[in-house]
Parts: sequence; C-alpha cells; structure tokens
Amino acid sequence: MKSTTTKEAKAKSISYAKWGYIFILPFFLVYAVFTFYPQILTIYYSFFKYFRDGLTWIGPEFIGFDNYKALLTPTAEGTIDILKYFGNTVIMWVMGAVPQFVIALALAVFFTSTRLNIKGQSIMKTVIYMPNLIMASAFSMLFFTLFSTVGPINSLFVSMGIIDKAFDFFFCTISMRTLVALLNFLMWFGNTTILLMAGIQSIDESLFESARLDGASGLRVFFNITMPLLKPIFIYTFITSMIGGLQMFDVPNILSNRTGQPNRTSETMVMYLNNYLGVSKNFGMAGAISVVLFILTAVLSVIVFKTIDRDKD
Amino acid sequence: MNSKNKAAAVKLLILRIFVYAVIIFLCALCLFFFIMLFVNSSRTNSQLQRGFTLIPGGHFFYNLNNAVHDSSINIPRGMLNSLIVAGLSSALTTYFSALTAYGIYVYNFKLKKLAYTFIIAVMMIPSQVSAAGFVKIALELDLDNKLWVLIIPSIAAPAVFFYMHQYLKATMPLEIVEAARIDGSGEFATFNRIVLPIMKPAIAVQMIFSFVASWNNYFLPAILLTKPGKKTVPVMIAQLRSADYSKFDMGKVYMFILLAILPVIVVYFILSKSIIKGVTSGSVKG
Amino acid sequence: MASVSLKDVVKIYPQTEKDKKSRKKTNLEVRDKGVVAVQEFNIDIKDKEFIVLVGPSGCGKSTTLRMIAGLEEITSGELYIDGELMNAVAPKDRDIAMVFQSYALYPHMTVYENMAYSLKIKKVPKDEIDRKVKEAAEILDITKYLQRKPKALSGGQRQRVAIGRAIVRNPKVLLMDEPLSNLDAKLRNQMRAELLKLQNRIQTTIVYVTHDQVEAMTLGDRIVVMKDGYIQQIGTPQEVFNHQANTFVAGFIGTPQMNFFEGRLLREGNNYSVQYGNYVVNLSAEKSARLAANNVETMDVTFGIRPEQMVLANEGIDATVEVSEMMGTQSHLHATCSGKDVVVIVPNAGEDSDYSGKSIKLEFSGSVVHVFSKEDGRNLEK
Repeated sequence: MKSTTTKEAKAKSISYAKWGYIFILPFFLVYAVFTFYPQILTIYYSFFKYFRDGLTWIGPEFIGFDNYKALLTPTAEGTIDILKYFGNTVIMWVMGAVPQFVIALALAVFFTSTRLNIKGQSIMKTVIYMPNLIMASAFSMLFFTLFSTVGPINSLFVSMGIIDKAFDFFFCTISMRTLVALLNFLMWFGNTTILLMAGIQSIDESLFESARLDGASGLRVFFNITMPLLKPIFIYTFITSMIGGLQMFDVPNILSNRTGQPNRTSETMVMYLNNYLGVSKNFGMAGAISVVLFILTAVLSVIVFKTIDRDKD
Repeated sequence: MNSKNKAAAVKLLILRIFVYAVIIFLCALCLFFFIMLFVNSSRTNSQLQRGFTLIPGGHFFYNLNNAVHDSSINIPRGMLNSLIVAGLSSALTTYFSALTAYGIYVYNFKLKKLAYTFIIAVMMIPSQVSAAGFVKIALELDLDNKLWVLIIPSIAAPAVFFYMHQYLKATMPLEIVEAARIDGSGEFATFNRIVLPIMKPAIAVQMIFSFVASWNNYFLPAILLTKPGKKTVPVMIAQLRSADYSKFDMGKVYMFILLAILPVIVVYFILSKSIIKGVTSGSVKG
Repeated sequence: MASVSLKDVVKIYPQTEKDKKSRKKTNLEVRDKGVVAVQEFNIDIKDKEFIVLVGPSGCGKSTTLRMIAGLEEITSGELYIDGELMNAVAPKDRDIAMVFQSYALYPHMTVYENMAYSLKIKKVPKDEIDRKVKEAAEILDITKYLQRKPKALSGGQRQRVAIGRAIVRNPKVLLMDEPLSNLDAKLRNQMRAELLKLQNRIQTTIVYVTHDQVEAMTLGDRIVVMKDGYIQQIGTPQEVFNHQANTFVAGFIGTPQMNFFEGRLLREGNNYSVQYGNYVVNLSAEKSARLAANNVETMDVTFGIRPEQMVLANEGIDATVEVSEMMGTQSHLHATCSGKDVVVIVPNAGEDSDYSGKSIKLEFSGSVVHVFSKEDGRNLEK
C-alpha cells in the first residue's frame, strides 16, 4: 500500500491554478493577435513612410518623427489639420453633449421623484432609449434623406413659409454641425437618462425624505443631496461620453459623404484617420493619428478609473 | 390651512403638466424620424416628390420588392452577411467573456490579479486606434473581404468580460462550484453545465448588446469589405449616400434604411425591458 | 464505510503584502510561508463514526473539512481515507460527499436533477439513478418536491435536498459544513434529531463542522474542539463536558458558560481543597487522586464551576444578583462576585423567586470543581 500511495502523492496536486490559465487563454490569445499586436504595429509604422500610391507601395522607410511633424505642419491654407479636426470633434460633441446631459439629468430627477409620480415611465424609457440601438449610419442616412434639398423637411418648411426656397443643410457649417449634434443627442440622451436614474435610485431614499422634512425645497434637495451623491456616476458617464465623442465617425461621415463638408468643418479625428486608412493605406500617417487618439483616450480613461476608485471608497 | 393646501396642489399640478409636456415632446422627437421613415418607405418616388405628409402611401411592398431586387445594392446579401457576423460575434463574445470572467473569478493563480488589471486597463481603448495595424495585417495575409476576420476578434471583449465578472461576483457563490467538484464534475463540464445556465440572464443581455453593436458596426467593415458580395448592411448604407441620390428611387432608399434598422427595432420592442435593465447593470457598480 | 486518518495535517495560507497590513486581528500563527490556519492535526476517525469539529469562527474547522474534501490543498501532512493516501487525489475520486452551509444547490436544475447529477456523471444507468434518487427522497421525505426548482422550496426543504444530493451516492465519507446554521431555531432542533436517525440508516462515516456546541454535544460520537488552528481536545461529549482539557474548552462547551474564579489550590498530603476568599471546599477523593498523580502542589489556580452546579446556601462565596431571568421552572441569576460576572441556575420556588438586587451566598461540592493552571489554562487533573 505504502509504495503506491507515496508515488501518487508526488505525481500531482489538487491545485486548480492551471485551469485558471486554461480558461483565460483564448481571450488573451485573441487579444494579443487581433488587438495588441496590431496596436504595436500601428505605433511602429507611425515612424515610417509607408503608403500605397496607385498600385505600388512606397516604403516602409524609417523617418523618425516626420509623420508627427507632418501632422503639425500648417497646410497651404494656413491651418493645422489635426487641430482643426480635433476642434470640429470637440465642438460637435459639446453641441450634443450639453443638451444631452442637461435633459438627461432633468429627466432622471423627474422620473425618480416620488412627488411627481410620473406614470407610463417604462414606455417613455423604451422610447427615449431606442435611438441608442439604431444603426448610426442608417440613422444618418435617414437624416440626410429627410433634410436634403428635395427632402420632406425642406418641403414642409417651404410650404409653411418659413423659408422661400429649399435650404441645403449640409452645405452650411452651422446647420451641418447642428444636425450631427442633434443626431448624437437623440442617440445618447436616453442612455444617459437611464444611467443617471440608476445613480439617483442608488441613493438612500431616506436622505431625500429627511432633507424634505428639514424644509429643503425641490431645488435645494437637488443641489445639496442629489448632485453631490450622484457626482461619481455623473463624472463617469460624462467622461465615457467624451471618449465616445472622440471616436465620432459614423454620423458626420455619412452626413457629409466622407468629405467633412462644408470646407471640412464637420471632419472629425476618426474621419481623418479613415481618410489615410481608406484608399491610400497610408499606415505612417494613420499610425501617427492613432497614437494621438490613443494618448487622448488614455488620459480620459485614467480620469474614469480615478472616479470609479473614489466611488469604491 | 385649506388655501395653503390648495395652492400647493395647484403648484404641483402645473409642475406635473410641464414635466409631462417635456417628456412627451422628447418622446415625439425620438419617434418622429422613425414615423417619417415608415411613412416614406410606403410611398413611391413620385409621391415623395409631392412633399411632406404623415399619411402612408400604400406602396410598401412595391418598395420592398424594388429594394430586395436592386441590381447595385444587394441588401438581402448584406443582411445575411451582417447576420452571420453579428450572430457569430455575439455568441463568441458572450461565451468567451463568460469563460474568462469565470476563470478569473473562481481560480487562484499567480497572474490572476495582473490579468484582471490588464483587461480593465484596456477596456476603454477604442478599436479605431489599433485599426491601422489591423488593416495592415489583414492586407498582408489577404484577409480583407473575409467575414471571419471581423468575427474572431470578438472573443476578446474587455467590456463584456467586465460585465460578466461583475455578474459572477454578485450572483455565483463559490460553493456551487465546489459542490459540482465533489459531485464529480470536471472543470469544463462545471462551466458549461452549471455556470452557463446560472449566467443565462447576463449572457442574454450581453448577446443582445454585442449583436446590435456588431450589426451597426461601420468603421472597420467599411475599410475591409470592398467586394459587393461581402459587404455588410452599414457599408451598403454608406454606399447609398455616395451614389448620386437625385437619380435614385427615393422610396427604395427609405426601404433600404428601414431594412437596415428594422431587425434591431423588432428585437428591441420584444425585449426592451431586459435590455433597459441591462444598460444600468453593466455600468458603475465598482 | 470508511475510516479517515489525518497525520500532522497543516494548512498555511500564503500571505500577500496587503494581507500583512490588513490582517491584524487574528491570533493565528504567522510563519515564513504564511498564516497557519490549521496546525499539525492528528486524528483517526473510525468507520461509521460521527465526528464533530467545533470551535469559534476562524479556528480552522472548515479548512480541515475542506482539506478532507479535497477543496483545499494540504500544505503538509497526510490524509488517508480507508487507508489510502488522498493528498493529491481530486475530490471527485475520493468518494466523499459534502453538504454545504449555503446548500449550494444548482439553481437551474430540479430537485431530482440536483440529486441525480453526480450519478449521471458517473454514468450510472438511468433506472438505477431513478431508484436511488427516489430512495433517498423517501428517506428525507422530499418525494413530492422532486420536480421543483430549489427557488420554490423553503429553507428546511432545501436543506433536505442538499443532504439528499450527498447521500444518494452512498459516499464513503459524508462531510457537512455547518448544515443547520441557516435554519431557524425550531427547524434546527428538528433536523438535529433527524440527522441522528439518518446516520443510523445510512451507516456512513460523518465529519461535521459547527460552531454550535449544542449541536456538537448532541450529534457527535466524538468531538474535536478547535481554536486558532490548534486542536484543544478530542473526546466523547461526556469527556469534553466533564473533563475539559483547558479553560477554553470549559468555557466553550455548556450553556450558560462555566463560571471561573481566581482562587488557590491547597494540598495536604493527598488531599486537595480550593480556597476563594475565606471559603474553602475540599475536593472529592477522585479529583484529589488525579491531582496527586500529577504531583500538583499548592498554588494559585483558576477554578470553574458550571452554573447549574452552584446552589444558594448560608455559607459560601458572596455575590450580588443584578438581574434574574425567569426561564420557567428555573431562573438564571446574573450576579457579580468581586467584580466578576457569575451565572447561577436556581429552581423556581413559587412566587418568591425574584432575586434582583439581593445578596446571596453560593455553595458547591468538591466533586464539581474543575481546577486549571493559572498560567496556561490547562486542566491540572489531566
């Protein structure tokens, strides 16, 4: 008996650690091949001259920081493209995000107020969340057809006498940006409302009650109780929206038919990246833009994690 | 006393009317564009040129027939491609995210903490920033116009992993796993036969979200899928925009858009309750 | 069905830097390798024996059980089931079954499927599974719930299913980890009696973990009292109750808790007595003989007397009653005696049984005094 048993004891252990590695292996393998390696490659080629000219490939040829320098070199018109597109992205994000957060916050407070006791909430939430799931490119195409010079909105406005001939929404900087912002607003305010509602609902109900009994008015309760306690979730939602805004692509790309019209005032950072990746396959310049995007996202992400961490304590 | 009560009641009533008005306006705004889409997809091109109306034109199936048989945009093919990509992606995403989350939640191993921290750290990085390298590899290996290149990467989805991990932490006592071990169940069998059924609600929610995300995905497919037979729906929609739309049958265009978004809308209205619940449960609950 | 032996079994949990900072309030020993949850554990559990591991939380009882189950690795030492070394054998190959504190029923399976799962894995023929599940269900009186899911059952029913799942396989050893602690008091008493009946029926070795000394006393053939990873005493309920190894066991076993007094042990030849203030009680011949055998000299000691073994008298230790708890036929008097709390159980004598605020004198006989070393708390008779 003894000889067999001691052999067995040496042979293996009942530690399950290896199963942990086996279970997470596919994830990390796929991540390494399809995300991590491409990421490294992206950064690598940002230091190379490497693109397609017609059917011939130019490069790869190491050029140091030349791509980055090119990014920051003013064009013939005297603008630095990447700054212009970053500005466009920020402006259009702000135009959508400000109403998005103001209205979402108001709706979240209304929906959770026991005094107002809003009926039909589940239908309302269903309706306002719906645009979030709609294909952004199809939604944009719908906007394009509806707002085009021969579209129904123009004909409605003309028949109502608001304007006397069709207005081209897509060739005016203000209306173009407004439409992009409106679409983004429509797609995201329902989502934000639901997140903020959950945030308010996670606040201990008795805090509101005791504040009311202490004589605080509705606005006072909002500023003294709701907002401070909602802050971590609000910031989290806000920054993730910023990260999303930085990736703005589908809507302006479809609305402007890839041109960023008029005069590239609706061109975003990712559209810029897409232009280099599309036909010319300029991995050098695309890489440099990606690195800039990566750094901007990383900075915002760090802020997100800071807020989550604080939330935990 | 009575008048004070009355004044307060009137004030509350006015506030409520205002709030309802705001909400109903926003709901109407959300619905307006889709109602326009429905209406216009049932009108012929000549009807459409007569201008704005909210009365359906009665030519829904005429437009449907035209759209389905269009010579340049093969929308049935596109929908099939999208269905393949989105269906397989969502299945892989949820299964492997659950597997990874389970591996990190249940087992103790040296790199556990590191693995977890890594996934959380890269969670916010958008796929666009590694797209250049991805496209480069795809071209080099002749993988453009292959649907599976868009499917396989979904095995590693950090955000879905995070959701699954949170779900496991909240609902899965480790004793269940131990009970299964003592019952003689192997580690994979325990995951597939005990844990997956327990995670069903989380898997359902994430499956819907990842299906929708994949169905709507435009950036990378637009770069990689250039052959007509390989295009997915969003790529075809973009193609519609770049065509000279003034020559287009607008009834057909509206029908294309409707077909692109209808599957998601139908699923949404069937499952809206659990989808909306899923929006919040995956977010910040450190 | 099987014997279980543990030889010098030790469990050490590796300690991270973070643990070192956070884990301040533990009495567990810390070695180079980490925190010692179980110190050299030795026991031979006989076939069909009902062994109860009892102790306060963090004493290592559950860890010991989980090492027997194979859910935790044994750091060092050896575990034998039926004479075979089991250290590296996976739980599924140990032929053991376990009942968990939370029951750990599979929520998506019916009661029947829960009970059949282990047999199904073993590829037992379907009709045999059916027979065995129904037989176990019959024993536990859960036949009518077989098609329900765990969610639709009460706590007591779930508990029966958990036991059913364990016994359906005829395991060599049945392990139970605080199985009754999630039940309310009434159900717990009822299930305790049923567990005894069950053991008679299924005739298997049972290792049972609890923090409740009443459960330990009523269920166990032998009890293992543990604290801070160390075995304090192994013995029958009688032995543990009457001949405690030390003050910890004495205080842990029995409710209300044993009263302790700081007094003096006096030796005159082979006769011993204890002295508290001016009160002196001669120890029984039996006790004296044991103390003499250990050659215990006159010294300061801690001595203990159980509350039910002290009586009110005209002579004895002075105490003042603070609260009197009426418990039906008897009352528990909570008194102070030179600043220390003392509990005495007295029979209720008619109307006049409110002692609150009164001064009393407490007497006890020389056969009920337990004498412990003042330094390390060990029983001087042992």
